[in-house]
Amino acid sequence: MATHGLRAANGYLAVVGALLIWLALLGPVLTLLGHLSWHAITSTLSAPGALDPLVISAESGTMTLAVLLLLGTPLAWALARGVLPWPRLWEAGVLASLLLPPLVIGLLLAFMVGPYTFVGGLLAHLHLSATNTMLALVIAQVYESAPYYVLGAQAAFAGVDYRLEEQASLLGDRPARVLRRVTVPLAAPGLAMALAVAWARAMGAFGAVVIVAYYPTGLPLQIWTSLQATGLTSALPYALVLLLVALPLPLAAYTWSARARSRRRG
Amino acid sequence: MLEADVEVDRRDFPVRARLAVAAGERLALFGPSGAGKTTLLEAIAGLIAPRRARITLGDRVLSSTERPATAVPPWQRRIGLLRQDPGLFPHLSVRGNLRYAGAPPEAEVRQIAVALGIDGLLDAMPARLSGGQAHRVALGRLLLARCDALLLDEPYTGLDASLRTTLTELVIGLVAQRGVPAILVAHELDQAQAFADRLAVLDRGAVLQEGAPGEVVLRPASQRVAELVGYGAFLPADVPGATTGVHPDRVLLGRHPDLGMVLAGVVTACTPSGARWQVRLATVGGQVTGRLAEPATAGQRLVITAIAPPVFGADGRAVSAEPLGDGAVA
Repeated sequence: MATHGLRAANGYLAVVGALLIWLALLGPVLTLLGHLSWHAITSTLSAPGALDPLVISAESGTMTLAVLLLLGTPLAWALARGVLPWPRLWEAGVLASLLLPPLVIGLLLAFMVGPYTFVGGLLAHLHLSATNTMLALVIAQVYESAPYYVLGAQAAFAGVDYRLEEQASLLGDRPARVLRRVTVPLAAPGLAMALAVAWARAMGAFGAVVIVAYYPTGLPLQIWTSLQATGLTSALPYALVLLLVALPLPLAAYTWSARARSRRRG
Repeated sequence: MLEADVEVDRRDFPVRARLAVAAGERLALFGPSGAGKTTLLEAIAGLIAPRRARITLGDRVLSSTERPATAVPPWQRRIGLLRQDPGLFPHLSVRGNLRYAGAPPEAEVRQIAVALGIDGLLDAMPARLSGGQAHRVALGRLLLARCDALLLDEPYTGLDASLRTTLTELVIGLVAQRGVPAILVAHELDQAQAFADRLAVLDRGAVLQEGAPGEVVLRPASQRVAELVGYGAFLPADVPGATTGVHPDRVLLGRHPDLGMVLAGVVTACTPSGARWQVRLATVGGQVTGRLAEPATAGQRLVITAIAPPVFGADGRAVSAEPLGDGAVA
């Protein structure tokens, strides 16, 4: 009976603790909803060019995702399958952009891809620039979101039993077909979640962006400039727009991967 | 005919073996855990790269490190591998798994499913299957993939005995029907014997003995083989430097000098073992264990006969399989 009582007490404590942290984490979102007025939203967002930041963010975010998918997926697979020499070194490279403060990444990027650097010179040859351009915005977003995607995708690939890939191979599939028929479908729920988290990070990227890509102005920078120019209330509608753009993809990925997993359970 | 002459480097010891299995024949590779059995199968399947190899299946050369060097990739070998984990694709239904290789016609899928007793499960997802059902699906998938050889890596370890028997009989029937060579890896002797026409004993990467499943137990070629197939006691033999092996299942109660070596001693322990009693006996030559039909009590004096015990010379090799007469009598 004593054990039973202890368990019940622990259960209540866990529920209370979970509720507190849940409320605390959701608090900002609830506050946002509480402080928005319909009038402020319509007047802010109906101004000419008011929705430009949304378009900029959506465009750059899509390009960032494409870069991550194209370059991050093979790296994540190689890390998960242990095919790279000195794997710790590669992982350290991925972690570097996660552990460095975004503002510091921005500073270092300015020194790396700025107009008077070697990379900047190369880009200039191609009539490109990585300062205050869409390219700069995408680069900054890639640095801020890549580790979330690569680490998530690595975990997704690591979760696929390599013996299933061997079995597919013995059943006659070439490596590319094994990837298409076994590896990717099995890793898909995890890959989708990783991509969704990376999207949310890319949408919200600010620290590195503010230094190398002040223009073109995406949503986070618009929030910042509105705040600086006219105060909190005029920044809130943009905050709402940012949430509305950043969150649907993660939510969709979450529901889809949960359904994929439950389908597998039969 | 599957012929494999393989040498694989491992961290602990190299695995070197030469095997030949005829079409429709079943070979069991028996040996302790870590002896290199799975390594051999994986080299034959093309999953690991051997240091030196010549593997042929029918008239196809699958691996050759001699010139011209050949290494047919696993997806072109047409070799089926069953492991302890059935390895069903969890995102595909039973039908999807069965049709994985080459998309066989529905009628053929249904025919195999009926033969394996899984026709009612075609739309189920693998997560819903029991262990036995999952193994049947895995077997069906291999059959529909039309493999030219079958490799079984302790597939039914961990299943209950009756299910294991059913599945083993199913595989034996199918190997005969399809006329493909089959190799089973087992670390339990009875499983190896239940499956095989021929048994090879593997230890530390080397084949120590090959023969009929019964013969290897009755006439082990060396003391090490005897240890591996269950001989529990090695007593000094009449010849100086030689030892006699006593298998607990090859022991009779009473004095039968015409059948083997008579041993007398004092019972030190008696525990039930299946439907028999495992009796430990202290003899002049050392401790002997025998599984007897009747229980004994500790302290009791007992005379037993070890039936035709093998004798090993000082070098560990068998010198004679059937020494007769009184041995170390207390």
